[in-house]
Amino acid sequence: MAANPLQPRSRPLWRLGVCFQQIQRLPPTLTIGGAILLVYFLVGFTARFWAPYDYAEIGTGIPFSQSSPQHPFGVDQLSRDVFSRVMLGTDKELFLSLTSTFIAMVLGGGLGLLSGFVGGWFDEIVTRLIDLFISIPILIFALLVITAAGPELSGSLILLVIVVALVYLPRIARMARAAAIDLATRDFITIARARGESMWSIVWREFAPNATGVLLVEFGVRAGWAPVLIGTLGFLGFGVRPPTPEWGLMISENRNAIVAAPVVVLAPMLALSFLVIGLNFFTDGLARVLGRSARRSPL
Amino acid sequence: MILKLILSRIITGLLTLLAVSLIIFVSTEILPGDVAARVLGRFATEESKQIFRQQLHLDRPVPERYAIWLSRVVRGDFGSSIVNQIPVNKVVGPKLVNTSILAVYAFVLYIPLSLVLATLAAAFRDRPVDAAISVLSLVGLSIPEFVMATILLILFAVSVPIFPVLSVIETAQTLPDAIRSLTLPAVTLAIAMSVYAIRMLRDNLIEVLDSEYIRMAMLKGLPRYRVVLWHALPNAVIPALNVTALNLAYLIGGVVVVERVFSYNGIGSLLVESVFLRDAPLIEATALLVSAVYILANLFADVMAILLNPRLRTA
Repeated sequence: MAANPLQPRSRPLWRLGVCFQQIQRLPPTLTIGGAILLVYFLVGFTARFWAPYDYAEIGTGIPFSQSSPQHPFGVDQLSRDVFSRVMLGTDKELFLSLTSTFIAMVLGGGLGLLSGFVGGWFDEIVTRLIDLFISIPILIFALLVITAAGPELSGSLILLVIVVALVYLPRIARMARAAAIDLATRDFITIARARGESMWSIVWREFAPNATGVLLVEFGVRAGWAPVLIGTLGFLGFGVRPPTPEWGLMISENRNAIVAAPVVVLAPMLALSFLVIGLNFFTDGLARVLGRSARRSPL
Repeated sequence: MILKLILSRIITGLLTLLAVSLIIFVSTEILPGDVAARVLGRFATEESKQIFRQQLHLDRPVPERYAIWLSRVVRGDFGSSIVNQIPVNKVVGPKLVNTSILAVYAFVLYIPLSLVLATLAAAFRDRPVDAAISVLSLVGLSIPEFVMATILLILFAVSVPIFPVLSVIETAQTLPDAIRSLTLPAVTLAIAMSVYAIRMLRDNLIEVLDSEYIRMAMLKGLPRYRVVLWHALPNAVIPALNVTALNLAYLIGGVVVVERVFSYNGIGSLLVESVFLRDAPLIEATALLVSAVYILANLFADVMAILLNPRLRTA
C-alpha cells in the first residue's frame, strides 16, 4: 500500500531524505504547481524590498528598450522599468484573486450548503436564482456589474474584488448545493439527526468537515481562473486604475511595443500565464490526492 | 411526453430570458444613479434635468419604467445611442453580421480540431501522443484568450507576417482576403474552445472504448481505426454536445476579448466601447442579444440531448 500523502507527519519529517521521498510520492502536478506558487508568493511578499525601481517611476531608460542587464524585461512606453512593474504587480494579482475567490467561497459555499441542506421552498428559490445568474455569460455579467457600480467606483480594487466574487458566487453555490444534497442522504447524517443533534451542530460538525475536500478543489479551480478574469478586465480597460502594475493592464498598455521590444509585453504575459498554470497544476494535484483518499474513506 | 418535456424547457428558457432582461435593465438604468445628471453634465440646471427626465420617463416608478422599456424591447426598439443619437438597431445590425461570420469561422475550425486531437489522444491512450495532447490542453487551459491572441499576433503577424495585425473585414475585396484577415481571431477562439472539448471527449471515448461491444468489434477482427471512428466516436460525441453549448458561452466571452485584440468591428468591441461610454441603450441591446444567444444555445443542447438520448425522456 502506498503511503497516504495526506499524512506526511506520521513519518520523521526532520530526516531530509525521507522528506524528499514523501514529496516524490505526491502527484507531480501538485509539486510543480506548489513550487510555482511558492515562487509567486515569495516574490509577492518580498518584491517591494528588492525591486530596482518603483512601479510608477518614469525616466528609467529609453522607451521600448529591449532586454538589458539594467532592465531585464525592457522599458515600457512611459520609460518605466518593466521588470520592477511585473515583480511589484505579483502581490496585487495574488491579493485580488485570492480575496475575491475567498469571499465568493464563503458566501456562495454557505448559501449552497444551506440551500441543499434545508431544502423546501428556500432551496427552490435559491436554485432558480443560481440558474438565472449562471445563464448570463461571465464576461457580460462582469461588465453589467461594472456598469451598475457607476463611474465613482470604476478602477478601484474593491470593485474588482466585488465583480469577481459576484461572478463566482452562483457557480460556487451550485456546486456546494450539489455536494450538500449528496451528503444529506448519507447514513451518518441520518444518524446524527436521529441522535437529535441540532441543525447548527449537524452543519458544523458533520457537514463542513465532509464537504471540505470538494470545497477545497472548487476553491482551487476558481482561484485558478480568477487571474484570467482580472487580467481580462484589466486588458479591456475595466481593471485597476493606471499606473497600478496589474499584468492585464500592462499587456494592453505595452501592446504597441510588440514590434520594437516584444519582451516588454511578453514578460507580463508569461507572469500571468505561469501563475494560472501554477494554480491549475496545484489544484489538479490536490484533487488527485483528495480523490485517492476519498476512495478509501467515504467523503 | 417528449413534446411536453421540450415545451417545458422552452418555457423555462423564455422565462430565464425575461428575468435576464430585468437584471440588465436594473444594472444599466436603475443602479448607476441619475442618468440626467450624467448625460447633461455637471452644470445642467435643475429645470433642464426635470425636462430630460420627463422626456425619457425617468420620473416614473421603476416597475412602470421596466414595463415601458420591455414593451419597446420586445418590438425590437432599443431606442437611440445616448452618445451619438444613432438608432441602436442601425449600430448593432452590421456588427452582429461581422461577429456571426467570425463565430461561424471559429466553429468550423473548432469541430475538426477537437475531434481529431481527442480521437488521437484516446486511441493512443497513455502513450506519448496522449501525454503531449493532455499537457498541451492543460497549458492551453491556463493561457487567457487575450494572451493567446497576442502570442499568435506576435508569431504570425509580426515575426512572420502572414496575417494582418488588424482584422478589418469591411475593406477586404476578395474572399481569400477576408478569410486571411479573420484567420488569427478565429484560430484563437477555436483553440480556446477546443481545450475544454478535447479533455471531455477524450475521457468519453476512453470510457466507450472500454465497453464490451467495442471489445466484441475488436475480436471480430475489424481494423482498429474502423472501431475507433465508426463504433466508438458517435457514442462519445453525444455527451460532448453539452460541452459545445458551454463552449458557446466561452465563444461569447472570448469574442469580446479577441475582437478587442484584433480591433475587429463586432458585437464584442461594441459592448466594450458602450460600457466605457456608459451608453445604456447600447449596453442593453448588446448584453441582451448575447445572453439570448447563450440561453438559446443551452436550450438547443438540452433539446438535442433529449432527442438523442431516450433515457433522459423520462426524467
